[in-house]
Amino acid sequence: MQRLLVESLDTHQEYVPYGERPEWQDLTPIQQDEGSLAPLAPIMYGDEYKDSTNYFRAIVQKGEYSERVLEITEHIIRQNPSHYSVWQYRYDTLLAIKADLIAELELMDEIATTFLKTYQVWHHRRLLITHLRAPRPELMFIANALQADKKNYHTWAYRQWILAEFNEDELWDGELPFVEQMLSDDLRNNSAWHHRFFVVWESGVRAGEEDRETLVKREIAFTKTKIARAPNNASAWNYLRGVLERTSSPFSVLEAFVTPYAQPPSPEDESEWVSDDEASSTKSPTAKSSDLAETADDAVLDLENPIPSARAELPCPQAIEFLADIREQSAQNNGTTARSDIDEAIKLYASLATKYDTMRERYWEFRQREASKLIPAIA
Amino acid sequence: MGSKELATLVHVSYIQSLGKATDDLAYHLTAHLRLNAIYWGLMALCVMKHKDALDRGEMIEFVMSCWDDEAGGFGAHPDHDAHIVPTLSAIQILHILDAPDQVDVPRIVSYVISLQNSSGSFSGDQFGETDTRFTYCAVSILSLLGKLDTLDEQKTIGYLRKCRNFDGGFGNTEGAESHAAQVFVCVATLAILDRLDEVDQDMLGWWLAERQLPNGGLNGRPEKLEDVCYSFWVLSSLSILKRVHWIDANSLISFILSAQESMASDLEGGGIADRPGDTADVFHTVFGAAGLSLLGYPDLDDLDPVYCMPSRLIESLGLKKDWVALGRRTL
Repeated sequence: MQRLLVESLDTHQEYVPYGERPEWQDLTPIQQDEGSLAPLAPIMYGDEYKDSTNYFRAIVQKGEYSERVLEITEHIIRQNPSHYSVWQYRYDTLLAIKADLIAELELMDEIATTFLKTYQVWHHRRLLITHLRAPRPELMFIANALQADKKNYHTWAYRQWILAEFNEDELWDGELPFVEQMLSDDLRNNSAWHHRFFVVWESGVRAGEEDRETLVKREIAFTKTKIARAPNNASAWNYLRGVLERTSSPFSVLEAFVTPYAQPPSPEDESEWVSDDEASSTKSPTAKSSDLAETADDAVLDLENPIPSARAELPCPQAIEFLADIREQSAQNNGTTARSDIDEAIKLYASLATKYDTMRERYWEFRQREASKLIPAIA
Repeated sequence: MGSKELATLVHVSYIQSLGKATDDLAYHLTAHLRLNAIYWGLMALCVMKHKDALDRGEMIEFVMSCWDDEAGGFGAHPDHDAHIVPTLSAIQILHILDAPDQVDVPRIVSYVISLQNSSGSFSGDQFGETDTRFTYCAVSILSLLGKLDTLDEQKTIGYLRKCRNFDGGFGNTEGAESHAAQVFVCVATLAILDRLDEVDQDMLGWWLAERQLPNGGLNGRPEKLEDVCYSFWVLSSLSILKRVHWIDANSLISFILSAQESMASDLEGGGIADRPGDTADVFHTVFGAAGLSLLGYPDLDDLDPVYCMPSRLIESLGLKKDWVALGRRTL
């Protein structure tokens, strides 16, 4: 969980203890209270950390807010960015001495990049931006930070906060292209898929997107192309479901698309798809391994319903489940074929339980039981 | 790895050794997690039925030395400011050690209530960071202290509702991605408040079951790596939703056992790591052991998935909710 950045201690050329610095002479350092766990052996741990925290305790006890507090808290943060009491005291000091918060933000640009995984750096930034009310440069900063760690939970949450808190059209305008860039870097990035849902569906209706039907079509078309490239990508399937459920669209609109992804490769199918695969392998001779094998760079024959490449690992459990859901919905809406729809759904679930997703056998058995409960309802 | 059994005694001495390395720099750099770490170590020992392996008196004394009298809560370490996470750890430790009367209940209650924001979210401390984790800490503390009546339930639940996502999961704040640990804190909070009706249980159960990867381990978000700690976050959520059997127990047990440090080499390190071959720590040790307990691994004590405390203790406090773990196996 906590990354210990011990190496940061070595960045100083030569360490001058606080006690030897003239400007700190007025303070008496306070040793750490070890409570009942006080070690009998003499303390051997890093002198620099011990020294700086001893002087920090003296500052706190004195209740001092001054420039040098910024110096010593930065020193401790660089050694241990998770020390929340130090962050707190630093922030109180910034406000108390009316420090230049823009300079602080610039310092934080560097510290946040160094200690990306520490949530305190993001919270401190949030406090600064709340004061400065200047969100626009933040989106670029976050985009850069995400390059170093594309799924960093706190970085993404910070981006969502910036957008929602300031809620300016100019901020939202660039979000869709940004998500598309992130997804073209890694189409399995669940954080980016989540962000897409947040931007498109969870943050109000933006100019140009009033026609929700067109929007649904756009989102479905987008997701289909991503699934064609990597059929076993849970994030994309979840997004597709999310869009349909959010807009109460019938799952059946996707039947033609989903069907080829739900089919096991039979010898016939393989020969049919190999021709397609050959086209792609000439374009992408370096494609290899299971992940890349799923990538179909090839020209898509049916633009509305791109098919998986021959090397895709099929069937996709998500596609089978999708088909079963379509059958269940059809049974509920359509009295005449209802019974056969339910039987078909149960068969699909059974194939997941016994063959294609046996790890979740018990879940698929549950789905079979739930589906059979629909029988009396339609009888 | 081929490891088939939990090396209980090795892990017990590993936990005992943790408090002794106080001249290491790493020990001091983790001071902000000290109280949490004591809770993790103690809880791991409870699950492995070696609760007495750490000195009770020393632990109580240390917990009480973390009291921040100005704020009315506990810090993670004697010099540190109060924070809601170590405050929960303190109360959990004192309850487990049968010393709950040590704390100043009215002051803690008013500290916890003071951390609720107008949106219904909770901050972790006066610095103001919000997270659904802190909501869980607040509700768990109030429940353990028998003071849930002081909570604005409507507001609290209203905020959790805003953190619920299209995939059925929950994030750490409004708008944030679903994450298994955040799912746990939200589901357990709703369980304590008897409001699981707020959750689409089948949908969320599926999302949680989908976290299991071909090697048996669980991840915290789609398309991420497996990690032993999710054995607790995912399994406890599924236990609360009564769907823990949707996980393939045998392959998950093998995965957790293969992440035991002692099994990675001949070193007598002990403890459980995030995944096989990595270095053990107390955090993954407790959540690995907790996961094994919920999966019915033999000769472990029952764990309450809502409070992450010994099941019998929660039952004796009259706080047990209607969860289901897998039955205890015999060797």
